[in-house]
Amino acid sequence: MARYELDDDGVVVIIGSGAGGGTLANELAQRGVEVVLLEAGKHLTAEDFVNDEWGGYEMLSWLDKRTASGSWRVAKDHPTAPSWHCKVVGGTSVHWSACCYRFIEDDFRARTVYGDIPGTTLIDWPLTLAEIEPWYDRAEAKMGVTGTNGLPPLPPNNNYKVMRAGAAALGLTVSTGRHAINSIPYDGRPATIQDGFTITGDKVGSRWSTLNVEIPRGLATGKLELRPESRAVRIEHDAAGKASAVVYVDAAGVTHRQKARAVVLAGNCVETPRLLLHSASARFPNGLANGWGHVGRHYLRHIVQTVWSLFDKPVNMHRGELMAGLVTDYVRHDPSRGFAGGYLIELNSMGLPTTAAFLDPGWWGRDFVSVIEQYRNMAGIFMTGEDMPQADNRVTLTDELDAYGVPVANIHYDDHPNDLKMRSHGYKSLTAIHKAAGAKRSIEAPSYPASHNLGSCRMAQRAEDGVVDGYGRAFEVPNLFIADGSNFASGGAANPTLTIVALAMRQAEFMAEQMAAGAL
Amino acid sequence: MSAPPIAHKDPKMPPPIALPEGADWAGALGVFSPGVAETLLVAARTLYPHDGLPERVYRRVVAHLDRMAAASPLAAQGFAEFVDLLDGAFPLPFIELSEGFRVQVLKRVEASAPFRLVQRSTVRFLYDDIEVWEAFGYEGAAVHLGGYVNRGFDDLDWLPEPPAPAV
Ligand SMILES: Cc1cc2nc3c(=O)[nH]c(=O)nc-3n(C[C@H](O)[C@H](O)[C@H](O)COP(=O)(O)OP(=O)(O)OC[C@H]3O[C@@H](n4cnc5c(N)ncnc54)[C@H](O)[C@@H]3O)c2cc1C
Repeated sequence: MARYELDDDGVVVIIGSGAGGGTLANELAQRGVEVVLLEAGKHLTAEDFVNDEWGGYEMLSWLDKRTASGSWRVAKDHPTAPSWHCKVVGGTSVHWSACCYRFIEDDFRARTVYGDIPGTTLIDWPLTLAEIEPWYDRAEAKMGVTGTNGLPPLPPNNNYKVMRAGAAALGLTVSTGRHAINSIPYDGRPATIQDGFTITGDKVGSRWSTLNVEIPRGLATGKLELRPESRAVRIEHDAAGKASAVVYVDAAGVTHRQKARAVVLAGNCVETPRLLLHSASARFPNGLANGWGHVGRHYLRHIVQTVWSLFDKPVNMHRGELMAGLVTDYVRHDPSRGFAGGYLIELNSMGLPTTAAFLDPGWWGRDFVSVIEQYRNMAGIFMTGEDMPQADNRVTLTDELDAYGVPVANIHYDDHPNDLKMRSHGYKSLTAIHKAAGAKRSIEAPSYPASHNLGSCRMAQRAEDGVVDGYGRAFEVPNLFIADGSNFASGGAANPTLTIVALAMRQAEFMAEQMAAGAL
Repeated sequence: MSAPPIAHKDPKMPPPIALPEGADWAGALGVFSPGVAETLLVAARTLYPHDGLPERVYRRVVAHLDRMAAASPLAAQGFAEFVDLLDGAFPLPFIELSEGFRVQVLKRVEASAPFRLVQRSTVRFLYDDIEVWEAFGYEGAAVHLGGYVNRGFDDLDWLPEPPAPAV
């Protein structure tokens, strides 16, 4: 591993080692760029991980306090943990279930396709599907996505058999889908043994993560230095208004200042705007890169929800990969449904501990008990769809300070009427599939804490509409970049990570070219 | 001979909390008085009344709440307030009430922060208990047993077999 001095101002400093930051770090290092990767969490290995839902949650999650407000149900159910992601080397790529779907063409032209929807702040992306397609190709090869590059899809599991029977009876297009989980050995990693515990770290290593693929390869170049347990607390700029250093606190509580040639934020969608807002200065009184006031705004979290159904016979949904099922019939924008945007239907499975916790968080009594006792006969089906950007759905700083002296973030989210219409439509579709497979009873579970966090530092064609350009470069601070999902211009329907990775790969090439040309 | 257990905890997770079998089980707790422990036990059982589960499962939940109270003064205060709320709601102590009245009392305090603390924590620990897993068919940790690839991940046989996925 490389080691750089704190006053080495030739390094690119990346904050956050998850899907976006970890990928970018490796891609830059492969191109010979010197990188310091700061990660708040610990550097764990497969040995450390457990096959235990709560044990894994407590080991991996970002548990620092946040607050929530707005009409979203999450504010009531999870008021101090409204957003769900990890704090560990590898970020949430250590936890995710690895569904990998490309955005479709219309996703990149949301404003044009959906029109002027009152209350929304829709824009088109500053790039098209055609521009990102080659990067999707590379991302899929890098991640070993099933159903691409000659890799077989994951085999049908029990939960999928239920989804498939129902979907086929309704004439829907159903498959096991695409995942960054090896169905056969690939890229030095083994095939899945269907243990069902990708979410607690994946001890087997059949699933792609930045922890097991990108970061070790980056370290092997001799260009990347990883600093775990290093919590960035402020970004500084020089007299010219360029980012010049990142102040961070190490595991011993000691504060350091790492100088930088360029700074990249990849702390997931709450921490990235939080750091920018907190890095306000005399020159940038509203926060760094916030000249047009968009930092923290237009926060998106997708229409994510699950239906759990009871059947007469055992399903044993916990056996096998958790989300290996896909129905694509609702992904396109279809105004005849009465709302804008589309959604994907996927499989969902949880163990008994988290099923009980998320089925309906305030629910108790004999009715609840009669449902959860039938866990063995339960199947799960899930959707992810596009929610509408709204200016006031936003991450802001509160008056309360955390242990590092940084204000605690609040996430405000009001459901847009379009969101509620899609939710209702989605619950009906999910329930119909289970009913067609013979469900006795279906439960519409509310959203769990936001797992697809997007849009809070969005990219735009014009500086006045966003925070960064199509390469994730801040309009206002030319050597400041964003490499996580907060840079999405709009949400699209699909799970976001494949797109985060493709954008980070494209960004790496851009940054390396700019550096070679002396422009960065 | 009874069937072998189906549920497994990850070998690295701590074993279930051991408590005495007898009526004086609450004596083994660190913080809660026997009265508080019994009230929380009856509350847990009223919130999640699984008739087939033995008393010891609910006792272990209370032992977890006791540990929370020992670790956090805020939690300790919440549990104390909860017990006061329940006992103050009716002319009889909560644990002496019929199930119907217990449910009424819990409904009355449902919106309070102490209720939320107890209800969420009960879910957290009750459904994480390996004896409950065994009862409801959750098999748990799998990697140390080779995953489910040869242990039934696709053994559902009461629906049509899906066609083999195309490559
Ligand atoms: C339950 C669940 C299931 C999911 N399944 C899927 C799926 O199937 N498909 C899919 O596409 N997506 C899935 N996701 C979403 C996916 O995990 C995220 O989209 C993705 O990981 C986001 O990448 P990121 O780089 O933005 O952030 P992350 O991967 O969350 O990484 C951010 C990192 O930054 C670090 N960090 C933050 N602030 C600081 C700081 N100040 N200093 C230093 N480090 C900092 C954090 O500790 C963290 O490690 C899932 C998410 C959850 C919660």
